[in-house]
Amino acid sequence: MFSPFQDIDGVGHKYCLELELEDVLDKDRTVSCSAEVLYPLGSTGSAPDVQVSVQGELRSTQEADQEFYNRMRSLEQELVAENIPDSHGNIPPELEPIHLLAWAASGYVIWQNSTENTKFHLAQVKHVKQVKRSDEDLQFDYVVLLHEMVSQVNNFTPKNPFLGCFKIPAV
Amino acid sequence: KLVDESLPRERSHHRQVSGGYIYTEYHPMEEIYEWMTQIQKNNSEMVTQHILGMTFENRPMYYLKISQPSNKPKKIIWMDCGIHAREWISPAFCQWFVKEILQNYKSDPKISRFLQNLDLYVLPVLNIDGYLYSWKKDRLWRKNRSPFENGTCYGIDLNRNFNAFWGTIGASFNCSSDVFCGHRPEEAPESSAVAQFIRSKKSDILCYLTIHSYGQLILIPYGFTTKPPNEELMQVAEEAAAALAGKYGTNYKVGVPSSVLYSNSGSSRDWAHMIGIPFSFTFELRDTGTHGFLLPTDQIQPTCEETMLAVTTIIDYVDKKYFPGGAVMLTSSSLGLTLCLSIVFTWMVS
Repeated sequence: MFSPFQDIDGVGHKYCLELELEDVLDKDRTVSCSAEVLYPLGSTGSAPDVQVSVQGELRSTQEADQEFYNRMRSLEQELVAENIPDSHGNIPPELEPIHLLAWAASGYVIWQNSTENTKFHLAQVKHVKQVKRSDEDLQFDYVVLLHEMVSQVNNFTPKNPFLGCFKIPAV
Repeated sequence: KLVDESLPRERSHHRQVSGGYIYTEYHPMEEIYEWMTQIQKNNSEMVTQHILGMTFENRPMYYLKISQPSNKPKKIIWMDCGIHAREWISPAFCQWFVKEILQNYKSDPKISRFLQNLDLYVLPVLNIDGYLYSWKKDRLWRKNRSPFENGTCYGIDLNRNFNAFWGTIGASFNCSSDVFCGHRPEEAPESSAVAQFIRSKKSDILCYLTIHSYGQLILIPYGFTTKPPNEELMQVAEEAAAALAGKYGTNYKVGVPSSVLYSNSGSSRDWAHMIGIPFSFTFELRDTGTHGFLLPTDQIQPTCEETMLAVTTIIDYVDKKYFPGGAVMLTSSSLGLTLCLSIVFTWMVS
């Protein structure tokens, strides 16, 4: 877990990592990747610099994405949900993609707020609300709870609110 | 809710121990209280329920003592669960552990051996008020429910409230922090009750176990040092982790917190070791962050099964260390007499 780092004078600490990516939707499928993570010196509050190279192919999720997109578009009312997973760790199957989307987005927030002394995980999606749009994009407003291991905080508020878009190509 | 028709085999298997209780679900505090009463009732020759103290909100803290009737004095293994409210898999494990011991103590040679010498004290939920609060109000609550600042801020982190380098690293003096260590060690009635009891029995307690989640770790003392106090603690923990991994391949890391987790102070594990309890371990159960505190119910059984192997490995080690070569502590003067007696006994039995 604690990989040795390279101390770059006046810049920061650089870590070189060899990782195995595991497909969340297909546990037996792994892909090797290597990464360089450079944490900047001091408390500048800027995100670490990350360079990743993947040795192999990530499975295409095109079909599943399309299915999710079509299902959301066919809803009569905008989706609203809370507590994903619920208290007992369960996620209704139709909300799985909503959870995975939150997980991906949380990854970005976690990256932006990581230092050498933090260890974040997505604890729970507290609330999600689909936002009505006039175009063909899907938009969701999430409130997510991130758990930070070192301080044990689970209501972490990021310095900058996250607003981003995931483009799911329309047919 | 206590009866599940879909698993008749599991139900009848558990009937003798606790009348149809479903160990593969998370139970609210009311059901855990009922379970303790049932367990004692159905296993009265082995189990007694005792009160440790009262929580801040005035709820009784009960522990179960599992003791094989005998005229020999025993040593003690202590295990507590649920010191942190949101770690639901922890009380689930304590309940599973009790059930397993009571179901198998006659047939399992390892268990029957150590029960000849050791009594097991199990506290299924240490932080009762917090656990209740995580069911009713805030699933991710961690601390107890002691109020501060005129009731505008709640909770001491019970695992920062023991007198082990209290109030130093990895703790906060701010009530709003999730690692608030209180204003003094043992300020929380829950940590005070546990500390008082363990202090009173410390010469008999050989092993202190405290069960948490998540992280898949076995931690040894101390939270505020970088090296293990001795090699034996690491060795035993490593053996336990290996036994655990043997079941489903679940990987646990072992070591002092600063090397595998984060530094901390005021933990119950550290305090127990500092007052002289030789074996003291923290377990951080499944998983490593995918579900975190919200471990799905279908992982309760495998988690409990693998953890059982780790815990019995530790108890077994302690038993063999302090009671080598059988149930009696042999000294050179009593050796001859003891051998004679056991030969006579064996002949009579066969």
